[in-house]
Amino acid sequence: MSFAFTPENQKKFEALLTKYPTKMAALLPTLWLAQNQNGHLSLEVQEHVASLLDLSPVHVHGVVTFYTMYKQKPSGKFHLQFCKTLSCGLCGSEDLIRHMKEKYKLEHGKVSEDGKFSMELVECLASCGTAPAMAVNEKYVEQLTVEKIDELMKKLSVA
Amino acid sequence: MTKVKITIDGHDLEVEQGTNLIEAARQLGKTIPHYCYHPGLPPDGNCRMCLVQVEKMPKPVIGCRTGATEGMVVHTQSDEVKKMRQSIMEFLLINHPLDCPTCDQAGECRLQDYYMDYDRIPSRYQEQKVHKDKMVDLGAGVMLDEERCIVCTRCVRVCQEVAKSEELFVQERGNHSMVATFPGKKMTNPYAGNTVDVCPVGALTSKDFRYKKRVWFLSAADSVCQGCSRGCNISVHHADNRVYRLKPRHNPEVNDYWMCDYGRIDYKFVNDGRRLKPHFKTDAGLQEDSYQNAFAHLQSVLQNYSADQITGIASAQESNEEINAFVDFIKSNFGSLPIYFSKNNPENPYEDDILIKADKNPNSAHIASKNLKPVSEISGGVKAVFVQRNLSAQDAQVLKDKGIQIVALFATNETNLDNLAEVILPIPTFAEQNGHFTNFEGKVQGFTKALKPRGESRLFAEHAEDIKALLSSIKKAS
Amino acid sequence: MTLVLTNRFKLKDSHTLAVYEENGGYKTIDKVFATNPDDIIEEVKQSGLRGRGGAGFPAGLKWSFIPKDPGKPKYVCVNADESEPGTFKDRYLLELDPHQLIEGIIICCYAIQSHDAYIYIRGEFDLPYRRIQAAVDEAYAKGYLGKNIFGKGYDLNIVVHRGAGAYICGEETALLESLEGKRGNPRVKPPFPATHGAFGCPTVINNVETISALPWIITNGAQNYRQWGTEKSPGTKMFSVSGHVNKPGVYEVPLGYPIKDMIQNECGGVGGTGRLKAVIPGGSSVPVLTAEEALDANLDYESLMEKGTFLGSGGIIVIDDSVDMLWALRNLGHFYSHESCGQCTPCREGTGWVSKILDRIYHEGGTQADLDLLNEIADNMSGKTICALADALAMPVRSYLKKFPEDFARHIKKTA
Repeated sequence: MSFAFTPENQKKFEALLTKYPTKMAALLPTLWLAQNQNGHLSLEVQEHVASLLDLSPVHVHGVVTFYTMYKQKPSGKFHLQFCKTLSCGLCGSEDLIRHMKEKYKLEHGKVSEDGKFSMELVECLASCGTAPAMAVNEKYVEQLTVEKIDELMKKLSVA
Repeated sequence: MTKVKITIDGHDLEVEQGTNLIEAARQLGKTIPHYCYHPGLPPDGNCRMCLVQVEKMPKPVIGCRTGATEGMVVHTQSDEVKKMRQSIMEFLLINHPLDCPTCDQAGECRLQDYYMDYDRIPSRYQEQKVHKDKMVDLGAGVMLDEERCIVCTRCVRVCQEVAKSEELFVQERGNHSMVATFPGKKMTNPYAGNTVDVCPVGALTSKDFRYKKRVWFLSAADSVCQGCSRGCNISVHHADNRVYRLKPRHNPEVNDYWMCDYGRIDYKFVNDGRRLKPHFKTDAGLQEDSYQNAFAHLQSVLQNYSADQITGIASAQESNEEINAFVDFIKSNFGSLPIYFSKNNPENPYEDDILIKADKNPNSAHIASKNLKPVSEISGGVKAVFVQRNLSAQDAQVLKDKGIQIVALFATNETNLDNLAEVILPIPTFAEQNGHFTNFEGKVQGFTKALKPRGESRLFAEHAEDIKALLSSIKKAS
Repeated sequence: MTLVLTNRFKLKDSHTLAVYEENGGYKTIDKVFATNPDDIIEEVKQSGLRGRGGAGFPAGLKWSFIPKDPGKPKYVCVNADESEPGTFKDRYLLELDPHQLIEGIIICCYAIQSHDAYIYIRGEFDLPYRRIQAAVDEAYAKGYLGKNIFGKGYDLNIVVHRGAGAYICGEETALLESLEGKRGNPRVKPPFPATHGAFGCPTVINNVETISALPWIITNGAQNYRQWGTEKSPGTKMFSVSGHVNKPGVYEVPLGYPIKDMIQNECGGVGGTGRLKAVIPGGSSVPVLTAEEALDANLDYESLMEKGTFLGSGGIIVIDDSVDMLWALRNLGHFYSHESCGQCTPCREGTGWVSKILDRIYHEGGTQADLDLLNEIADNMSGKTICALADALAMPVRSYLKKFPEDFARHIKKTA
């Protein structure tokens, strides 16, 4: 099935075009819109976005592969992005990451068999003052402890 | 234009304001080493090999994007500059596979050259190299070895700037950066071969040339592409009396640094499918034989016609010199009928507003200057013709329809006229002779001999001498 | 303490227009539009406000480079791509006082006579994005943005533009590339953004915190701003404190504030083991200070320069004596090699190389030659590239090796 924006997103897309002096400048927000609708940016979606903005597909692909938040593959229903940078590291993120692997068999780049969870180790989320931190999909969860993670995983697995 | 005085390594010189330091140094005969900079492309500045020191600037600057200003004092040979070059080389080589023995670029690789010029220290790298795909078919006859790529983006810029085509781009980032097409797509632009030419390392290689010859065995001859009426300046790279590849040669007035992919492979006919010996028609078909027997056959054919029934068809594929010799020969020995010409005339020829012309003949302009007529206008009085090089299919049909006999065809290769000509006499290709083509703008451009004339092929003038003798003996006999 | 930037943070619904206006918000607009734009620039120059993103370039001076009549649009870009490890102040400015930023943008745009501003916000910032977008929407609805803002006959549009995960887009020219829909590769300078910025037009790029300080400065005057700070570092600054302190968080203090007081008074003392080992004062890329150096240093541009480091983004990372500094450096090696855009050879190859050497030493032990090599790679990376990312790793490499040699010596293999 070929990708197209929903009528609502189509409107949002058209509004985006009015915000920039060039069509190309609408690329990042258009990719966000497409990813939010489709879950990830398949090659087909990338080509579609390219055609919408009169860009070459290879330019779009170059952009998609540059930015870590554009997903080329589907992630789990809950995408757990653990910060691994220094302040979180100082506050014990390595132990939490190990815990995720041991208890939940989740590690960087992995999607759980039921498709419910995926995990990614990410660089600094600017949550250093509330470290260790992660983002569950887009929402930050901070001051993590093993207990807090277990509680959250329990809640999410029935969600 | 404002001229400014600058100093490079103690030498004073005057350059146009804003001239980049690589070009300014070139005027002194000095090389500032570089990978990503190419004089035919917009500068990028990523490789950092051209870092030099400029007095009063706090940090080293890149030569490719630093414009000359009045009083600038540049150092390209200081210890610090030498140290920077060595370190850039070290960085470039840490993830490089060092597979020179199997690399086609060996011998013309900037990594090899600059290693010898500026580095010369053993590798200090002990870690795992970043592994990438070594055999990526980018399409259009271009192969990519990602591990050898230094991400200088010259190829990306060639596609954008020369071919006006966005097919290549850098993907991923950091030390996983690489050049690629959109997944599943291939390059289709007709200038893709230039990406191989500009690649300073062995990342992009030509499928056509890969593994055929070590480059140090090749010799080069200045030449002109005979694929269309543009007349791109080229080098014919050859060895063992065969052509291995054609490369564009810089001429800002004609083709800049570039050539098209059609022209680039338009050398195969030099090596293969050649008429290397005289042939003539027999009851058993076309027979390869000696000049003596071929001329005997030609004599017997010519006896059937009077001089005023015979003319010639010149070829827009041949050089000024060969066309002149042919026309002069027909004029002085026959002369009463008009002389005709034929052109390579494919259906729906590709053209663009970059380099490629619809006229697929290198010498239409010279033909036009000779006041010859197209074969379509051939008159009833013509009974027999000498044909230079070849005829278009349409022109061959005209002769057939009118029952005009080809007494002799001067051919480089096997052609569609093989069964129509009484005698085929071998002539050399452009690669085997010196000569000139006149391009569509009237520019007369010389090309030089790369190979010895192959087989028994001879220039037209040599054939003409023998045919003249033949004609006078026919006259005497009658 | 009432200061400049964080005064409304504790108010309920501080992010809303109503609360902002009840607490002095948008009160300086009349004054702004009654003032000559050049005089606004002059006032900002007089205040000594310096760029709070990391480089510390004087804001007013930066604005004065914008050509008056370029014959094309001028742009203001707010750098909200806060990504330097250890830094999380802009996040709170966006979450807790987005209208202060909008008012600051109005002041900046008017000063350089720009009618279009972009807020480039990092992709990970979801709540801050929603807050600033909602604030922009509120401002449009109230006529504070759009056509004829505040009835002053001045048009101004603000677009919030989300990044998508790339530290390098905090570099101002990479930010512009990204805004234009490209890969975030920093641009070769010159030309500078003041003449060739967004979409090839004159552009001012300032950090969220810099712009957020403007309403206070214009309301209260440059001289009042100078009541805080030092001669060369006037005013206040927000510091993000993380790592081993008992109360990590964001604290606004006058510049020149002692690090010792920051740790003891604001942050409730050293956490973890309670014994201080090191302090990174300005975000992870600046040279580290030993405990002794840190306790003797003040938080302003010039004192930290004297100590051989930088104020940077004001991201203070406090490290206790349980930490192996090789481990810490290795963590940063991963960060910077992951975030290198990959354009320039020394950075693309050097960050990865450093990171791999540190991995090897950490896991298998190394040799003195490895440590010498690390220093040499750092030297070969510094000052050779388009942007400062390579330096951002080179500086930690050199300073950690120099200041904590025992942590590296511990990993040296004993050879027979």
